[in-house]
Amino acid sequence: MIWFTWRQFRTQTWITIGALAALGVVLVITGRSIADAYADANVAACQGDCATAIDNFLHQVTTSTSGTVYDLATAILYVVPALIGIFWGAPLLARELETGTHRLVWNQSVTRTRWLATKLAVVGAATAATAGLLSWAVTSWAHQIDQAAGDRITPGLFAARGIVPIGYAVFAFTLGVTAGMLIRRTVPAMAATLAIYSAAVISMQEWIRAHLTPASHATNPLDTSSLDTLNIGAGNQLTVVASDNLPGAWVLSNQTITPAGKVFTGPANPQYCGPDAAPQVCTDWVGSLGLRQDLTYHPASHFWSLQWTETGIFIAIAVLLAGFCFWWTRRRLT
Amino acid sequence: MSNPVVLAQGLSKRYGRRQALSDCTLAIPPGRVVGLVGPNGAGKTTLLHLAVGLLRPTAGSIEVLGGHPASDVAQLAKVGFVAQDAPIYAGLSIADHLRFGAHTNPGWDRQLADDRITKLGLDPSQKAGKLSGGQRAQLALTLAIAKRPDLLILDEPVASLDPLARREFLQGLMEFIAEHGGSVILSSHLVSDLERVCDYLIVLVASRVLVAGEVEDLLASHYRLTGARRQPADLPTGAEVIEDSHTDRQSTLIVRSTTPIDDPSLTVEQLTLEDLVLAYMSQDATHSAPTAAMETTP
Repeated sequence: MIWFTWRQFRTQTWITIGALAALGVVLVITGRSIADAYADANVAACQGDCATAIDNFLHQVTTSTSGTVYDLATAILYVVPALIGIFWGAPLLARELETGTHRLVWNQSVTRTRWLATKLAVVGAATAATAGLLSWAVTSWAHQIDQAAGDRITPGLFAARGIVPIGYAVFAFTLGVTAGMLIRRTVPAMAATLAIYSAAVISMQEWIRAHLTPASHATNPLDTSSLDTLNIGAGNQLTVVASDNLPGAWVLSNQTITPAGKVFTGPANPQYCGPDAAPQVCTDWVGSLGLRQDLTYHPASHFWSLQWTETGIFIAIAVLLAGFCFWWTRRRLT
Repeated sequence: MSNPVVLAQGLSKRYGRRQALSDCTLAIPPGRVVGLVGPNGAGKTTLLHLAVGLLRPTAGSIEVLGGHPASDVAQLAKVGFVAQDAPIYAGLSIADHLRFGAHTNPGWDRQLADDRITKLGLDPSQKAGKLSGGQRAQLALTLAIAKRPDLLILDEPVASLDPLARREFLQGLMEFIAEHGGSVILSSHLVSDLERVCDYLIVLVASRVLVAGEVEDLLASHYRLTGARRQPADLPTGAEVIEDSHTDRQSTLIVRSTTPIDDPSLTVEQLTLEDLVLAYMSQDATHSAPTAAMETTP
């Protein structure tokens, strides 16, 4: 059964190996220019204030080919799990059911359970290996950029680094298998897989991930020397946001609150913040109000606990889906 | 009599509200080539799928070679099956199919498989998707028999084949049986396909088994009676009317009787197998529809 699963899966394997090799070549070539830029900007050697060195390095990288590769590689890590679900997962059972070959294979001297177990194990292992290899390659390729930019925990990058792509890929694969098994037709199963995978990934990023680990919370006196926003709106409404000053963190909320603990919305005093007043006068006045900055955030140190939790959730869903596939194949599938 | 190859008791299968097989009770003796005949949609495929374990019964039970269908590897190894339209992997070569058979069957007879492919004049490196209908059916049959099953089940194996391919297919099948023995069940909606090969017949119409038995016994116990017009009831005792047709002056009856009909007022003729099956099928059209309707009301 292992030989046969491999035989059915052979073409996809070669295509995948080819694509991974091509990407590997691109990463190796551009990886050198990143290392050069890193050395040129003197990031490693800088002492104390490295902001300028980092800015120089990031500017050099983002304006070169490496910048394009960086965006592309990040996108690939979201797309590859979907492709695995669509092209490896969905047809795995649907193609057999569609062409009637399940009636051939189920009447050899192999039980349905073993048949499914072999398929899931072989292609599932290939899924985890592909996603793991890809994520490892991109994560180590982008290591210096990520460190310089300090943004690998932020949405958009988080799921394209570390071990989360493995969870996504294994989930997408079992999702595709389940959809194919229930829908029994390859193309609709592919569409369903894409839709559900996208919904799951977006839900995770938008609503769930922030709560996987308890977020950190900090309340500091408002530092008026580092205001990001000072905006006077209609009715003298005043919006003040100070810089979070949390390098490498994923800031969930950054609010300015009054000494009473309410969100500060003004009103602005026209005497200091009127149309004729100098901006510094308004800023000084804001500084005299005793406002505080209220931050909810995941510091950079939460990266791995968030990674493990998110990966664990997707793997757990994949295990449940696989268990359902076994039950359905044995009991309900004809 | 040794143990039956298929033993069904009150076997029924229902899909939602549609009854695909009703209360089927059968005991097929071993060593027979069994023809399962009935019109399309009668439930032949359902019965065969129940026998190979692709389906589970809604009610009743079925035992095949003394075991539960597809319950374990040993049971699977004992039964060979070619599904309708002979499914094969279109993207794989013939040689791949044979390797597949060898990898998935402990009792695989490689010599037999290779010999058959050679004899059929097939190129092992050819993609199965490029085969003609007849060659495809032959490949599927090769897979089913090279696992050396005790019972071979074929669902409409020749329905989509041209007459020549049909003959070659059945010839190959008969050669295998002659050489290796075992039991075979094959279904068809045409009795003429099976007449030459089967020695046991099951007629399945509208989800019910109407008659099952040795072909010889069936032929010996069914008669066509022709005579002056009469009521079907007015017949020698023990004769059961299967089909009756009347003109103004004459009645033609097809009856089943275990004792020879000895009535000088009737002309008694033997039936061909085809006439016999047709009589049962038309019986369904005329009589069993209202019966079935009555049965559904408790």
